[in-house]
Amino acid sequence: MSDFLLTQIINYGAPLFGLFLFLGALGLPVGASILVVAAGAFSQQGILSWPLTGGFGLVGAILGDAFSFGIGYYAKNWVDQHLGGSPTWRSAKDSFDSRAGLAIYITRFLITALAIPINLIAGGSGIRFRRFMTYDSLGELTWIILYGGLGYLFGSQWEVVSDFITNFGGLMLGLVVFGIGVWLGLRSLRINTAANQSTKILRD
Amino acid sequence: MSPTRQRALIVGLIIIGILIVGFFGLRTFHAFREFRGHRPPPPGEVETDVELIRDWMTIPFISKMYHVPPPELFHALDIPPNGNQDKSLNDLNREYYPKENGIVLEKVKAAVLANQPPPPPEPAKTDIPPATAIPPKP
Repeated sequence: MSDFLLTQIINYGAPLFGLFLFLGALGLPVGASILVVAAGAFSQQGILSWPLTGGFGLVGAILGDAFSFGIGYYAKNWVDQHLGGSPTWRSAKDSFDSRAGLAIYITRFLITALAIPINLIAGGSGIRFRRFMTYDSLGELTWIILYGGLGYLFGSQWEVVSDFITNFGGLMLGLVVFGIGVWLGLRSLRINTAANQSTKILRD
Repeated sequence: MSPTRQRALIVGLIIIGILIVGFFGLRTFHAFREFRGHRPPPPGEVETDVELIRDWMTIPFISKMYHVPPPELFHALDIPPNGNQDKSLNDLNREYYPKENGIVLEKVKAAVLANQPPPPPEPAKTDIPPATAIPPKP
């Protein structure tokens, strides 16, 4: 898939690159991070113009995120009907609201595998669109500058960078899953301890 | 959620997290070693390593990357440039050499190698004058 997309980018340039990032932000498996690193390298080799490529890429990614936020927003009623009564869902929603900015920013460039779920949750949790767009734009800008910049720096050897970045993203995802597990475990332990203590006090 | 299900979820998340960290941690370590072994090429330097040619590349792209005129590459492949400028090496291979897998990539690598400018000559060895003048003996 990526090979075909790379050929099309060198043939049709920045607008197609923007389109692929748009599709990637909607959840299509285009390998968006690899494309950004490659586009940086193509700019260094004189195949693409970096301001134009960066601009189209940024617009494409932000538009795609806005669309997936919209999907979450319109699915809100359905989610509220089915999960609205659940205390777990309400607690998850509250805890997301308090850390939404950081979650949106980080998932744009560090844990990109979680970007789409975060867009959907953000849309469904009712956070303001302007707030979402602010953190989203900052995150996507960091992504384009960081990944595209590395591609530009390494030029024809960009594949080494892309390999490292892909695996590092997976490692971050694993750490997040592990961290959530540990956090839930500690929280459950705290709740149980507090419940035992109050039972003991009541009994005494 | 019942306590049993909650416990199962927590244990599941921790185990899956450890598995993902282990898998990608090893791959990241190997990729980092590769990454550190490569230095960015000096700006403006023409690429000479033909092992970086991939079958998704097109002839005009390779031509620009290695500073080899496109007609030389099309001539080496024995195919016309018209209508083939946007095709990847993989597509050209499938279309013109369907029975010889990978032959286009090999031919292009050979053509690029054959068309590379000769390496700059090494500077002639000269006697290095001493850093300080030695006064003649009286």
